Amino acid sequence: MDNRWIWWRLAWRNLWRNKRRTFITASALAFGYLASVTMIGLWNGLLTEMIETGTNLITGQLQIHAPDYYPERSMYATLGGREGIDVEELLRLTRDIEGIVAASPRVYGGGLISTGDETVAGLFIGVDPDLEVEVTRILQTPVEGRAPKAGEREILIGRGMANILDVGPGAEVVLVAAASDGSLGNDLYRVSGVFETGSAGLDGSFGILPIRSLQELMVMPENRIHEVAAAVEEPFAAPALGDSLAVAVAARGLDYTVAPRPWTVFRAELAEYASLAGAVNGIVVGIIFIMAVFGVANTMLLGTFERRREFAVVRALGTEPRNVVLTVVYEGFILGVIALAAGVLISVPVLYWLHNYPPDLSNLFGSFTMSGSVVRPVLRAEYSLDGPIYSAVALLITSILSALYPAYKAVKILPADALADI
Amino acid sequence: MIPGPLRTPGGLRGSGRHRIAGRFRVRVGLVIPLALLGCLFSPLTARAQSAREIIDRVDQLMRGESSIALFTMDIQTENWDRSLTLRAWSLGTEHALIRVEAPQKEAGTATLRADQEVWNYLPRVDRTLKLPSSMMAGSWMGSHFTNDDLVKESRLIDDYEIEIEFDGTRDGVEVWEFLLVPLPEAPVVWGKIRYQVTKEDLLPTWTRYYDESDELMRTMTYSENRMMGSRLVPTVMTIQPADKPGESTVIRYHELDFDVDLDQDFFSLRNLRRQR
Repeated sequence: MDNRWIWWRLAWRNLWRNKRRTFITASALAFGYLASVTMIGLWNGLLTEMIETGTNLITGQLQIHAPDYYPERSMYATLGGREGIDVEELLRLTRDIEGIVAASPRVYGGGLISTGDETVAGLFIGVDPDLEVEVTRILQTPVEGRAPKAGEREILIGRGMANILDVGPGAEVVLVAAASDGSLGNDLYRVSGVFETGSAGLDGSFGILPIRSLQELMVMPENRIHEVAAAVEEPFAAPALGDSLAVAVAARGLDYTVAPRPWTVFRAELAEYASLAGAVNGIVVGIIFIMAVFGVANTMLLGTFERRREFAVVRALGTEPRNVVLTVVYEGFILGVIALAAGVLISVPVLYWLHNYPPDLSNLFGSFTMSGSVVRPVLRAEYSLDGPIYSAVALLITSILSALYPAYKAVKILPADALADI
Repeated sequence: MIPGPLRTPGGLRGSGRHRIAGRFRVRVGLVIPLALLGCLFSPLTARAQSAREIIDRVDQLMRGESSIALFTMDIQTENWDRSLTLRAWSLGTEHALIRVEAPQKEAGTATLRADQEVWNYLPRVDRTLKLPSSMMAGSWMGSHFTNDDLVKESRLIDDYEIEIEFDGTRDGVEVWEFLLVPLPEAPVVWGKIRYQVTKEDLLPTWTRYYDESDELMRTMTYSENRMMGSRLVPTVMTIQPADKPGESTVIRYHELDFDVDLDQDFFSLRNLRRQR
């Protein structure tokens, strides 16, 4: 055998001198790995959930407006300006972008919703009920009644608003909205259903009605809309897809321009959370393995002291200090590799379980709101590559780092003293 | 100043002392024309008066104990122009009813202010609805007045510290310019108000409203002073938002009567629904 390997072999042999100790130390590292991978997985799961619920509830992941729509959101700033647009054409153009899966037109209006006795201020969203369900969830699961039907003067309202107005499906309400001709649009509508998102802001002030009904209330022609909301396949691709759409509209030779607004803009806090996640993952991994460093170093230090006389002998026989250091470091590294293998073995089933059968803590906590997104308390882990890789690198670095001090101690042993000390 | 229900917004006021204030005002309504006469004959007397007194006079000038008015409101915005003809009844500072008479499409639409509440009647759906407090800052009838402007009824002197900022001749007319700074506890929306009043007839020429950072928010100008309801009042008022130079709301009074025979029962929800 090559002489080079002798130090590896020594390290290997030393590792098994005390099997129980090695087993316990490796277990500590393996569970550290499991903890690290699981934490990152859960964090990513939470993040994905936040982005999903934050965007597919009502906003979509990408919105298209007239360039002057934001920040004022004036009702006159419709796509294509006063002339309006061919809505069908823009929808088609949007859906044709690779990566955009659905698109739906929207009209917004502010006003009052009243039963006569009670009146609340509301934000009205006019949607195409058939297209909207492909983009957002808001119409999908009313807790009472059903979604409004196209062509009907119906409105779906939030739970909070329904409570204040004390109405349910079938009730008649008056909608009042500033109309585009300066008059006060007002008409009778029927409550088709009640939605509940868990977000007090949404449930308390949003009313959703068929787009044509809202346009009529606001005295707007059919070809004037405020927004096209789109759903995309990969959330993080939304900004690029928006740009492609703007280019496509320009290339089509249409006489208007569009301003795309991806969720990373209108839900900037979610995007910041996402970028923060990387940093948090690093910190989590760091903390877990810094804790491990001390534990492992302690054990290895013990092992080194146990072999003081052994080290003294090899040093007395002329072994270079460098090689003594190497044996101890190799020992730590091999321990790390074994722990990593064990860690991966235990992490795979845990992650699989957390991904596919996440524990649902809804019974204990109910949904909660985070950065304005409703998050279900479901411990669902998201698979990722960087989590396991970072954790693996951190584990190996840990095992080497924790061997350094014991190695230094081993070198410092004076052969004469150690051998004399019987 | 807008006679009757639509008046210069001085500030929001909590309820609780209206009874007392109302009793006082009966007398004030009689006193003002007399005081005004006095001023006309002896401007020196007016000069000697404190800023507070002058502002209060101007503030009260167009507040009869009750009034009936017919006016047009021309609203000009970037996106549309429209003209409404309205009739308004007011009683004290607490009660007002304004009804649209033209255009035909909106005739009958009415706003009732009673006891710090604002109600709207919509003839198209035949419903009355109470305006939620969150909508008070919203536009009234699409104009540049807010619903708040209808409700704010307190006297300027109750909410503002008043001093004379300018005393002299402007455009050949002797005027005072007053600076009104809200008292620390005053429930008002403005950071300060500047008010110009002519010395000769104690009529306002303009009012400028500023926000807390001293930025001009809107300007109200008063013109075409005429005798109406046996008082000399400005009959045209123009409100201009500072951030939208092209927009304005102009109110022109065609009929104005003070101290008419109205009682509280008139300002009822039932009357609100009565279509003309």
